[in-house]
Amino acid sequence: MGNTAKKTGRLVALAAAACVAMTLTACGGTSADDAKDGGGFTYWSMWREEEPQAKVLKAALDQFQKDTGITVTVQWTGRDVSKKIGPAIAANQSPDLWDQANDAIFGATAQAGQALDLSPVLAMAIPGESGTVGDVIPAKYFDMMPKDPAGSNHYVIPYEVASAGVFYNAADADLGTAMPSAPSTWDAFLAVCEALKAKSKPCVASDGGETWLNELYFDGLLNAGGVDVAKLSADKSGAAWDDPAVLKAAQQVEQLVKGGYILPGYDATKYPAQETNWALGKAAFYNNGSWVTAEVAKQVPAGWKFGSFSVPGARAADAALFGFAIPKRAKNPGPAQKFIAYFLQKSMLSGISTTAGNITPRADIPAPAELEAVQKTLSAGQVRMVFDGVAGDWQPKVLDPGYLKLWHGKTTAADFVATAKQAQISFWKTQS
Amino acid sequence: MFWLFTSPALLAYLVLFVAPVAYAFWTSFYKWDGMGDKQWRGLRNYQVLFEDPYFRGALVNTLKITFVGGSITFVLSLLLTLVLREMRGRLFARSALFFPSLVNGMVFGIAAGFLFSPSGPVNQALGLLGIDTPPKWLATENLFPMILGTLVWTATGYYTSIIMAAVDQIPPYLYEAAELDGANAFQRFRVVTLPMAWDVIATCAVLWTVSSVKIFELILLFGGSSSATPPADTWNTALYVYVQAFPQATVPRLGMATAAAITSLLMITVITVVLRRLLRREPVEN
Repeated sequence: MGNTAKKTGRLVALAAAACVAMTLTACGGTSADDAKDGGGFTYWSMWREEEPQAKVLKAALDQFQKDTGITVTVQWTGRDVSKKIGPAIAANQSPDLWDQANDAIFGATAQAGQALDLSPVLAMAIPGESGTVGDVIPAKYFDMMPKDPAGSNHYVIPYEVASAGVFYNAADADLGTAMPSAPSTWDAFLAVCEALKAKSKPCVASDGGETWLNELYFDGLLNAGGVDVAKLSADKSGAAWDDPAVLKAAQQVEQLVKGGYILPGYDATKYPAQETNWALGKAAFYNNGSWVTAEVAKQVPAGWKFGSFSVPGARAADAALFGFAIPKRAKNPGPAQKFIAYFLQKSMLSGISTTAGNITPRADIPAPAELEAVQKTLSAGQVRMVFDGVAGDWQPKVLDPGYLKLWHGKTTAADFVATAKQAQISFWKTQS
Repeated sequence: MFWLFTSPALLAYLVLFVAPVAYAFWTSFYKWDGMGDKQWRGLRNYQVLFEDPYFRGALVNTLKITFVGGSITFVLSLLLTLVLREMRGRLFARSALFFPSLVNGMVFGIAAGFLFSPSGPVNQALGLLGIDTPPKWLATENLFPMILGTLVWTATGYYTSIIMAAVDQIPPYLYEAAELDGANAFQRFRVVTLPMAWDVIATCAVLWTVSSVKIFELILLFGGSSSATPPADTWNTALYVYVQAFPQATVPRLGMATAAAITSLLMITVITVVLRRLLRREPVEN
């Protein structure tokens, strides 16, 4: 009996080793050298088939196939495409083209050196137009992105731009009196809140647990104070938190909280409860991405007119890009690149604005009416990534725990800064 | 002949279970983004894990779910067993109790935002009972207790149903004899129901332990949103693994993710073995 058990044990070990070896072989990929321009390419989309962006892309793909004879195999994968792309690349089964937000593309592929440098696409002529791709996409969008290990920030070619901002109903009479023009400083913003409070109207809507949304204020205020969040987060000693500008930004958030300007009950609701309240006019402002106008489109009463501004004082507007990327191991990068240039034609890309209700990177395509203000902010000056592109678990582990307490009025700005500093020191110890 | 008949099962077990675990174990010694080359890290991933306060917190949360949640669930289940055996209309009561476990946990995660909002149905009902200052159910610090409560609520009916099925098999004459001896309802439960259903209860305890470690979607939906993971102090080990394997906008840390998963597997194995030892006893009757 004992002998049999021993034998079985040995056999199990042997078979396990064999399986591991087999798995390894399956995972070991071949190089990208066998890439060639074929008669077609595969495309995994971040959109689901019923979404308006998918409709715009589908129309363009149909036309592209007719015009060029190149066949395209599309999978409407949805947002999870950024989780599927890594394993697909590892198994050498990656699509030739995919799309996502610029930070997701960076995190899933470019950061690991697995995204193709699309600089050649920028030099490609746009069919039917006199210019190149590089002519119609402002360089500032590329400049704001982190570089991949090879030093390129051309790993995504955007076709849609989103921005975070403070949104409001410009047709609200009370608000119009309190705020004749968008506030340019934090104090001016608080003055608007105070004026609204006098009319017993809450200033800001917020779902208390929504870390990312609520931290947009802090992010904007740090930017106003000249603090680069990426640098702040990267400091292993935590000393960057001692910068007086950081404390000042935290104190400004504290002013908003302690002033009682946030819609009461915000610390006990779950998204999207307060977004709905804002859309129903129960609070004046809501800080969110520009997609919020589409989210509440069906809730807002007739007569709403969306207005927006960046967090007062911020030196650069927040921008997030949605665009195409090509994995380095793609087998047919040629025709995929051709499609990128094809889709950026004004006639094709306009659908992103007219059908999908979003802003495109091309300045000559007007944004939908509700996003006019956002497009103006984006084209006016500098742009930067939200939180200066900080990614991964720095936010949940370092920023969020203390910030939520600050946002809920349970701690002071000074305590929050001290807590975050300590959390950052211990965070970096676990990142090596 | 032995190997001929066992080999299909053994092979399936090896390929579907042992190999993935072995592969995960092997990966846990490396730094790997899932695409490029692996870098040897030895035991460093495990060392880093235990230095990370959030992993230690995740372990504590996992244990809280298993033991605190488990204790409440089983005390409630046994109390219900005591009542259900004796009550009228018990078939209906059993169906009603079982119902929550049929509903996907995610539904509760999503519905909670509506049910427990400050002006939601729960607070309105409490208001009718004269409670005007109800707790802030959805406040961040109440998130974990809420998750635990939901788990207990869904699991209680499930385990009650299983235990009741065992209780139904107990010969009625044992209860009659106990009654003749003057045993009250609680004494009958203690001397008849509990020992006779013990093996099933013990099996349920193991089932709970194993399933409690894998709880994931409820926490993700209760505390998370489309733009952020749930607050880090509500993570259990499953969620910790998820955050390492699918981080937001950065490369996966599969070495850390597998190290966390292996640690969690080891923990649950130890707990299950100890639990089995503690709950084992000689059968009362053959």
